Amino acid sequence: MIKLENVTRTYVRHGQTITALQCPELRIANGEYIAVVGPSGSGKTTLLSLLGGMLSPTSGRVWLDETSVYEQPIVARSAIRRERMGFVFQSFNLIPYLTAVQNVQVPLALNGIARDRQIELAATMLQRFGLGDRLHHKPSELSIGQQQRVALSRTLVNDPGIILADEPTGNLDPASRELVLKALDSCHNEGRTIVMVTHDLAAASRAKRQLVLQDGLISEHLVLASARAA
Amino acid sequence: MNLRSLVWSELRERPWTIISSSTAILLGVAALVAIRHVTVHSEQEVSRQLSSLGANILILPRDASLQNYYAADRNGQTLPEEHVLEVLMAGLPGVEKVTPKLSMPANFGGLEVTLTGILPQSEFTAQAAWQTAALFTPKKHEGCKKASHDSSNDDATPESLNTTRAIENLGKDQIVLGADVAERSAFSDGDTVELFGGTFTVLGTLTRTGTVDDSRVFAHLHTVQELAKTGEVVSAIEVVGCCEDAAGDLVPDLSKLLPNARVVTVSQIVQTQVGVNRLMSGTSWFVLGILVVVGGASLASAIAANVRERRREIGTLMAIGATPGFVQRMFLLKAVVLGASAGTLGCLLGLVTAMIAGPQWAGVIVTPMPSLAIGAILAATVVAVVAAYWPARQASKLDPCLCFQEL
Repeated sequence: MIKLENVTRTYVRHGQTITALQCPELRIANGEYIAVVGPSGSGKTTLLSLLGGMLSPTSGRVWLDETSVYEQPIVARSAIRRERMGFVFQSFNLIPYLTAVQNVQVPLALNGIARDRQIELAATMLQRFGLGDRLHHKPSELSIGQQQRVALSRTLVNDPGIILADEPTGNLDPASRELVLKALDSCHNEGRTIVMVTHDLAAASRAKRQLVLQDGLISEHLVLASARAA
Repeated sequence: MNLRSLVWSELRERPWTIISSSTAILLGVAALVAIRHVTVHSEQEVSRQLSSLGANILILPRDASLQNYYAADRNGQTLPEEHVLEVLMAGLPGVEKVTPKLSMPANFGGLEVTLTGILPQSEFTAQAAWQTAALFTPKKHEGCKKASHDSSNDDATPESLNTTRAIENLGKDQIVLGADVAERSAFSDGDTVELFGGTFTVLGTLTRTGTVDDSRVFAHLHTVQELAKTGEVVSAIEVVGCCEDAAGDLVPDLSKLLPNARVVTVSQIVQTQVGVNRLMSGTSWFVLGILVVVGGASLASAIAANVRERRREIGTLMAIGATPGFVQRMFLLKAVVLGASAGTLGCLLGLVTAMIAGPQWAGVIVTPMPSLAIGAILAATVVAVVAAYWPARQASKLDPCLCFQEL
């Protein structure tokens, strides 16, 4: 379970203190599928960064099961991300000079998996996403949809229990968007915890729980029927 | 996929980055290697030339100059012959051979020549006092031959006067003719000649050297002393010393031992070349400084720019679990690859330059020096790593949240 406890995150800009996020309590149970919606600058990505162990809160604690994440040293937090989390990025963040299979190999390499096994696992994952014939293509040689599928392969190759997705459908055409959302549905069905930050209400409606962020404050909302239908 | 392949893939993707960021190091190493190769070979050539001259230290009368010596040391000034014994008794390290000489003008078959009395090396072993000196020589010197009192096959023929500045055996009624004298006087080996009222047999003639020795007639030192009625004196004492000693403590030691004599080193005759060598040696340190400052700054700036360009990539790597140490190692390894490649290519370029330019610049044949090459590559690598350390550290401190589109 992930739990935020009296978490605030503030920034100082031009001498002014800005509260990016204020969250007295948030609990995310194992296997939950949560969408976080809100306007730009509302603190969605700050929340995702806090959950990912990448941005320490100004006050409060972030718990991952029994571990207070930000009381761990940086190396331990890296290990948590490496072993338990997967990230989906809006602009995919593929490494441009690596091929598709090499991009998917990176998390495996960071986990100390042997090279042959890396290639085997990465190729299997790419084949699962229909990219078996694009293993040795670089991102620039792939379509946008294919790039997002490579990115999803990279996210899932380490079999993470938690998936943190930042606007995963933001740059995609309808077909690719559907593919990504189906992949996240599938991850949810496999029992993974998913936190998806999005502007896309229709995408958000596929989550089982929606959080609305407004000026750094979190509130819970039921899904609009119209959004679900879309 | 591992750290190495990640770095290698990135380098292959941006070959111009490699070239532009390591050009300064490459050129610095090339210049350093070229200059050092030429300098070292030039120094070796000077050393070889000094060795080929035979004597590399001269003990002259107080007021005599080196020019006097090379003008056949006929300056009329002399030294006591006992200085030879003093030199041997002192047992100074590095003294290989001691050859006293007395020169005077003479008429030889109508020719004006320089009659040079020389003490054959066999005389040293024959004299009990000098044997004693040998027995009590306090220090032995590694790498050098024992001092003059041992017989040597090198000095067995008259030609050794040219090659080692000494002769093993020379009877009191024998002479050796310089090339010019032999040619102009038409005397040859075994002929009998009249000189200063005495009769001498020609033991041998020397090949042409292009030096004043070509116009000398060599006879036994004691014979010349008797004929010239000079008493037990010499014009000069030639000392063959180990090169490093000749250039080091031996000259001051001899000066201290013989305060009334003038001790000079023959290296003065190659002073220009030595000066050029020193200049080149100094220049090579300057180039090393340039390599460190300009090459290091250039690479540091390139790595820092690379870190800026790859902020999102670094953030992504950290988001998917790379530790700050991994990120730092990634940039340091890149620096190692750049430094070692630039060092190796610079080394090859410098070597080729030295091999082509060496004969033209310094008149020396340059051959590769592996230790210098390895040292230069290591230096380039160390400079690259030190230069990259700060940007690499900055990269490791980047915020992983850079992986997100906005924050």
